[in-house]
Amino acid sequence: MKIKLLLATLGAILLSGCQSDDERPTLVVQRFFGECGAVYGKSIDVGKAETECGIVTTMLNRFAAENPDINVKVNIVAWPGYAQLSAQIAAGDPPDLVTMHQSVISDYQARSLLEPLDEMLADAGITTEMLTPAGQRGTIKDGRLYALPWDTIGRLWHINTALMAEAGLMRNGKPLLPRNPEELIDHARKFKAATGKPYLVQAQVAAPDYLVANLYTYLLAQNAVVFPDARHIRLNTPEARKIVGLYRTLNEEKLTTVAQDFPSATANFVNGGGGIFPTGTWMIGPYEEAARSGTSALKGYAVAPFPQLWGQSAAFVDGHGWVVPKDDRSSAERKAIVRFLSFLARYNSDWTRTGHLPAFNAVLSSSSFTQQPHRRDIATMAATGQQLPGFVQRQSAIQGLIGEELEAAVSGVKPIDRALADAERRVNELLSQI
Amino acid sequence: MTTAAHNNRLPLTALFGVLLGAAIMVAPLVWTLLLSLKSNSELMRDSSAAFSAPYTLENYRAILVGSDVPRWLLNSIIVSLGTTAAVLMLCSLAGYGFARLDFPFRRTLFVFVLLGLAIPEQAVILPRHQLFATLGWHNSYPGLILPGLAAPFGVFFMTQYFRAIPKDLDEAAMLDGASRLDVFWRILLPLTLPAQATLGVFTFLGSWNDYWWPLISATTSDKYTLTVGLAAAQMNYAQTSGLGFLMAQAVFASIPILIVYIIFQKQIVQAMAGAAVR
Repeated sequence: MKIKLLLATLGAILLSGCQSDDERPTLVVQRFFGECGAVYGKSIDVGKAETECGIVTTMLNRFAAENPDINVKVNIVAWPGYAQLSAQIAAGDPPDLVTMHQSVISDYQARSLLEPLDEMLADAGITTEMLTPAGQRGTIKDGRLYALPWDTIGRLWHINTALMAEAGLMRNGKPLLPRNPEELIDHARKFKAATGKPYLVQAQVAAPDYLVANLYTYLLAQNAVVFPDARHIRLNTPEARKIVGLYRTLNEEKLTTVAQDFPSATANFVNGGGGIFPTGTWMIGPYEEAARSGTSALKGYAVAPFPQLWGQSAAFVDGHGWVVPKDDRSSAERKAIVRFLSFLARYNSDWTRTGHLPAFNAVLSSSSFTQQPHRRDIATMAATGQQLPGFVQRQSAIQGLIGEELEAAVSGVKPIDRALADAERRVNELLSQI
Repeated sequence: MTTAAHNNRLPLTALFGVLLGAAIMVAPLVWTLLLSLKSNSELMRDSSAAFSAPYTLENYRAILVGSDVPRWLLNSIIVSLGTTAAVLMLCSLAGYGFARLDFPFRRTLFVFVLLGLAIPEQAVILPRHQLFATLGWHNSYPGLILPGLAAPFGVFFMTQYFRAIPKDLDEAAMLDGASRLDVFWRILLPLTLPAQATLGVFTFLGSWNDYWWPLISATTSDKYTLTVGLAAAQMNYAQTSGLGFLMAQAVFASIPILIVYIIFQKQIVQAMAGAAVR
């Protein structure tokens, strides 16, 4: 009897996996950003949602509620989800819409795995001119739009204004930022003498993206050609040596925290362990909250784009986008995708509560964006923000290789010349294998 | 106190060493548990807040409420139990065959099976993925269970165990009129229960903890196993702004394994000791 009962239960479980017939077009939306069903599982009020996960979950709930004629299936994937996406494409069963970092689009677009979206976006009422310059640069490849840009993410200087005031580095309520490398060192020494703390809080351990963002930003500022073509990088240059040399000096003089990873650097900054933490747009919310709560050692807070130390103002940025992997789709399914793209554009303003910059010019100039804390101070990045050239593939792997060498260079383990030469050689080897 | 009990007592230095070793082993587990009981915002400021109240079950609530965790748990149970049952059945049959039956190319075939031990999963994962895609087995229970059934270690292990059982038992049973199936089913198989338990526990643990194959084979949320599902549930920068949730996930995922360990503790220890002696 027990065995029969067990078999019946198992049978029921297995049959529960069978799908019922549904004549509605199905839209499989695949995203990262995590799972937060406990708080937002049934929420459709996008305006009240917070955090990346909360906002995207609520948006998808709302889209499903507003479009009962579309069968919306949501796949939440382990960040960043590209192993699963590649497996799905290889198996001939890709999702319909996928969140993708703009720096990754080239990897799939170069292999003709993504749909160009110009027509679908036009049908959704979205033209290229409506997108911010950074959004356009991140999603246009070979003259065609391969994603709906969703935001621009980049590094900012998160500033402890209370400590800056203690060091005499505030003017008219605004932090006084350096205008060249020498001034940066000068400010850093002054800050340390006044507060006894390092000027910069930096995540220099197990954070290759952090070091590389500094390097790329200031190479872009000097108009350096980092990738002369799709198969080569140029790193062992006077421009790069100046940048790495600056960060090495900061380390040597202990004007920065050393040997910290991202979580410990974050905690250190919130606990008033240093003046400036150059990290991502996504940390504006948590730091603002910590400063406002009055319970942390972060007694005053401001943000600014990276200061202009060389050449022109520049910012190395990335962004999230929504791509459509190539697949055979019916007219109804394509219309469902168009409706979803149009819906996404409508809610781009809400997404900026994550700290990221909007992908639409209209949102950038809207009060819903500018009235959020510190957003006016960083809005320029939507124009100045630059990605690597669109033909550069394997950007994440390249970051890893360069980051290792930079870590060795700024910590003094390797001479700067050798580290940059090694980084150049290793990246070129990688690119030659594509 | 008896003399035997007195002789079994550990010297003080050894006792101290064992306690120190145990403390080192337990410390990260306790640290994980304490972190899981703290709010994420508090931990973002200072992870040593784990050592002081207040504690909360909020992170566990976030895992259990409104998510697909029950479904992923069920999937993991089905896949792990299915794999374990099938591996035990196949390895017992194969082990009996190699140990007791005489057939052409037996030795060659056995060596061929053992060669499987030398082939890492990464070497075959691409063709296997393509094969399963062609057969339409991805996002299905068979797709998750079948790859685990290729168990050369299990075949080797059971073969050795069957070989260690005296053949006299088979001959005596056959003289009494038992068929080969009777000998296998009624005489030999019950004698291999300790080996079955060991193999079963290791297979279950391996299948439960598997991440790579389920990640690329089960690509729809409703077919995720617990390991893949929990990874998908993590937000970006979980180590910074979601540390408590991350640790609660680790604790939650290890509970079933802990239960298995408690139930089969004796067999696991025996297996470890046996491996050490060999």
